[in-house]
Amino acid sequence: MIKITNLEKIYRTDLVETVALNKMSFDVRKGEFVAIMGPSGCGKSTLLNILGLLDDCNGGSFLFDGIEVAKFNEQKRADLRKKNIGFVFQSFNLIDELTTYENVELPLIYNNVKAADRKVLVEEALDKMQIMHRRNHYPQQLSGGQQQRVAVARAVVNNPKLILADEPTGNLDSHNGNEVMDMLTTLNGQGTTIIMVTHSEHDAQYAHRIIRMLDGEKVTENILRELDYVHN
Amino acid sequence: MFKHYFKTAWRNLKANKFYTTLNISGLAVGLATGIMLLLWVENQFSYDKFNMKYKNIYQLNTVIHADKDQAWNMTPGGLAAFGKNIPDVNSSVRIKDRNDQIIARYDRKKMLDGNYVGFVENTFLKIFDYKLIRGDKNNFLPDVSSAALTETLAKKLFGSDDVLGKTFNYFGEIYKVTAVLQDFPKNSSLQYDALFPMQSFINWVAKNYTNGNTRFLDEDFEQIQYKTFFLLNKNANAISAANTLQKEFKKRNNDAPFSFHLQNIATLHLTDTDGNTSRLRMVNVMLAVAFLLLAIAGINYINLSTARSLTRIKEVSVRKIIGANKRQLFFQFITETVIIFIAALFFGCVIISLLSPLYNSITGTELSDSLFQYSFLSKATAALLITLIGTAVYPALLLSSFKPLESLKGNIKGIKANVFRKILVVLQFSVSFILLVSTVVMSKQMHYIRTKDTGYDKSYVMAFPLTNNILPNLKSFEEELQKNMSVINAGVSDAFTLTSVDNGLDNVEWQGKSVNDKTFFNNISADKHFIETIKFQFIDGHNFSGTQADSTSFILNETAVKQMHLRKPYSGQNIKYRGTQGTIIGVLKDFNYKSLTQSIGPMIINNFGIQNIMYVRTTAAHAKDAIAYSEKTYKKYSRNAPFSYSFLDKNFEEQYKTDAQINQLFNVFAGVAIFISCLGLFGLATYTAQVKTKEIGIRKVLGASVGSIVQLISKGFLKLIVIAIIIATPLAYWAMNKWLGNFAYKITIGAFTFVIAAFVVIVIAFGTIGFKALKAARANPVKSLKTE
Repeated sequence: MIKITNLEKIYRTDLVETVALNKMSFDVRKGEFVAIMGPSGCGKSTLLNILGLLDDCNGGSFLFDGIEVAKFNEQKRADLRKKNIGFVFQSFNLIDELTTYENVELPLIYNNVKAADRKVLVEEALDKMQIMHRRNHYPQQLSGGQQQRVAVARAVVNNPKLILADEPTGNLDSHNGNEVMDMLTTLNGQGTTIIMVTHSEHDAQYAHRIIRMLDGEKVTENILRELDYVHN
Repeated sequence: MFKHYFKTAWRNLKANKFYTTLNISGLAVGLATGIMLLLWVENQFSYDKFNMKYKNIYQLNTVIHADKDQAWNMTPGGLAAFGKNIPDVNSSVRIKDRNDQIIARYDRKKMLDGNYVGFVENTFLKIFDYKLIRGDKNNFLPDVSSAALTETLAKKLFGSDDVLGKTFNYFGEIYKVTAVLQDFPKNSSLQYDALFPMQSFINWVAKNYTNGNTRFLDEDFEQIQYKTFFLLNKNANAISAANTLQKEFKKRNNDAPFSFHLQNIATLHLTDTDGNTSRLRMVNVMLAVAFLLLAIAGINYINLSTARSLTRIKEVSVRKIIGANKRQLFFQFITETVIIFIAALFFGCVIISLLSPLYNSITGTELSDSLFQYSFLSKATAALLITLIGTAVYPALLLSSFKPLESLKGNIKGIKANVFRKILVVLQFSVSFILLVSTVVMSKQMHYIRTKDTGYDKSYVMAFPLTNNILPNLKSFEEELQKNMSVINAGVSDAFTLTSVDNGLDNVEWQGKSVNDKTFFNNISADKHFIETIKFQFIDGHNFSGTQADSTSFILNETAVKQMHLRKPYSGQNIKYRGTQGTIIGVLKDFNYKSLTQSIGPMIINNFGIQNIMYVRTTAAHAKDAIAYSEKTYKKYSRNAPFSYSFLDKNFEEQYKTDAQINQLFNVFAGVAIFISCLGLFGLATYTAQVKTKEIGIRKVLGASVGSIVQLISKGFLKLIVIAIIIATPLAYWAMNKWLGNFAYKITIGAFTFVIAAFVVIVIAFGTIGFKALKAARANPVKSLKTE
């Protein structure tokens, strides 16, 4: 589903040039759950941003579903992102002025989904994340775990092919963290490809494969378990 | 989608009540004052345009070429007759004005004074669109004793407007009502309570003046006393029509130093006869002020929204990441602005309705008259939309253009670099400062005018016009007044008021007068007691004697003897005036007998002709008694005619009413501008204190004093205000010098004015910021650090 080859990202200021990704290559198959690990500043987040089409790269190739997207302009990237990718952040990034229901509904509104269809999809997502009973609450009225469940619901409501999770349990206690990880695993089991950046060895164990990075490069790759089947 | 925009906007505004209130109140005050000002401007530009043919209606003005050209809004009667031979002229009408007239019911059960009367030709209603309520437009004023009354006068006189055929008395003649006119619109330059046929005026003059002066109207090329209006054909050239009139006039009267020009009726209200456009300029200034006030209010919105955009970066980024495009975000922010504007407009309307009595009293117009007229509504809507678009687009563009990743990473150079905001603050305070300086200068000039030595003592002098019944017994009437304890002195003249003596211009002959000399004299006919009552000061010679000799005695003013190049002693020199050979018996120290916008011209005071305005001097303590006694005596002599009087100092103030109004308006605007600017400043200071909470906390932990923290927050803002003052000072100086240029007698603008204004602005601004800064500085650092 994803194939990156010799991907490069360099940050330049007047005085310093920092190589964030140094000719990085790997691929991710459809339905796979990949964890990316490494110390702070190793380029994990940069990689995730490029994979999420939030950032561009300076060199190399990035095939998304067989399409070369490395040279896409912002508009094209945004279109592709909107339809195919869901995001889960460490700090949840829910919109404070919107209720649980409305936060989850938002991607559908921006995708011009009809109101009647939206209702079905949002309720389905809330149900799946077991947060339906909090549908009319605002983020401030939810616990961290609940907020992250809302964020996951929002990420999946559009039925994306890929979910990118940036330290999804970083702000949660272990109980809530486990719950979120279970949910991601369930989603993965239902066919959604997941790439997760994490510091937690515990969380990484949920993945099929762990890619370890250092100084912008891939250093090791461990396969924890094989994919049960390849999604078409 | 719209529902979502609306919902998000509404919740955002609700969640940030402080900024929402700040934004709405600033905009509401700005919109309210802006709209009221636009209304006033609209009213000023609407004068005389209710005439359907206003584009083709022109007033003929006469320019008298003397040492200094003088323009009059009247002409000799003969000019209109030339119109018949000019193809561009469709028709003409002549009007003879008379102010402050007494009209009485025939049964004398009711007498009304203070009426404005016009003697008009029967083309009047063919040219102007004043509406008839009763009577026949095509047979308007059919004979010499017919008359038209306005609805109000008809009701006052007869208790109803159904008065066709009723008779009344005016100036010793009986008239029959043949038409009732709707009251003249407030935005009409011509204002009358009653109209009479021109022929009746001609007959009256022929009857009352037996000095052989019977050349009237078509044959009169000397006396400048008629208002003359021409209706030109469509596409006619007013300049060439005026030239033709001029040529025709020269054929008849080649010597007269007169020339003529046509002035469109729509310009009468704002452009003086001599082409002086100071009033027009002032209206344009007000128009600019209206837009500046809207701009200041708009700037607040822009500043607060962009400053606060920092706090919304996360929201925008999240929205973008989950699929919002730029257009969708743009419209979301525009929706917020629109909601704020609608709320501001609502509160603005509330403010307008609360302020309408104040507006009416300052401007002398009725706010409600123009509030729902199409022309106003369209302009106000346009102004509103311009402000809205100007205000909404920038913050919405800025907010919607954040790059999600960079924003999330805190890389937000575009917003942090707040040069644009600083420029806007400087702009706001520059405007506020200019308005404040204008207010101070205008107030000083008004004070100067009020207290200027006008060459006579205008306090406690009342004036009232005398009826025809009193005139034959003038001497005994005057003596009876003088007898009373409450009256210090009483004298009579023909000047309606001393603040604008307007008895026409005359020629005077003297020995040694050069052939090319074109000095024209203003004149007053007065008796000995008038000079004493007004307390004119003699620099040479003496007053009239009160004897027969006065009929050949003349008193001049300083300017007159200077322009005549006479040598001292002036008294005893011979001059000839209105055919009378006589002697100069005294010279008066110059006194202002016209508006202080004009310099003093030559004046001759004589003792012949009708003197029908009585001036009575009293004291503060006796004023009430003097009025009562004068009224009693007046009624006795006039057989109960209505008595009305005015005090000289009041008339004097009245003359500068427009200037005083403008001054008052500027007081309001300067106040509003400073208020709105400070609201914005308060918002920005609050915001600065918020974003610096952590910095303040750290500094306090490290030992910073409250003073140094107040300084930390205020310094940047105060610097901007000082820059604004530096930029605005020369602009304000230039603008106010231009305004003072309207006055012949004026103050000089000193540095002190600017120092005071700067002090006021800085103190108010510092008060605004300091309040917030002090609060931030006193906050517990532990708490602020924890919050972070």
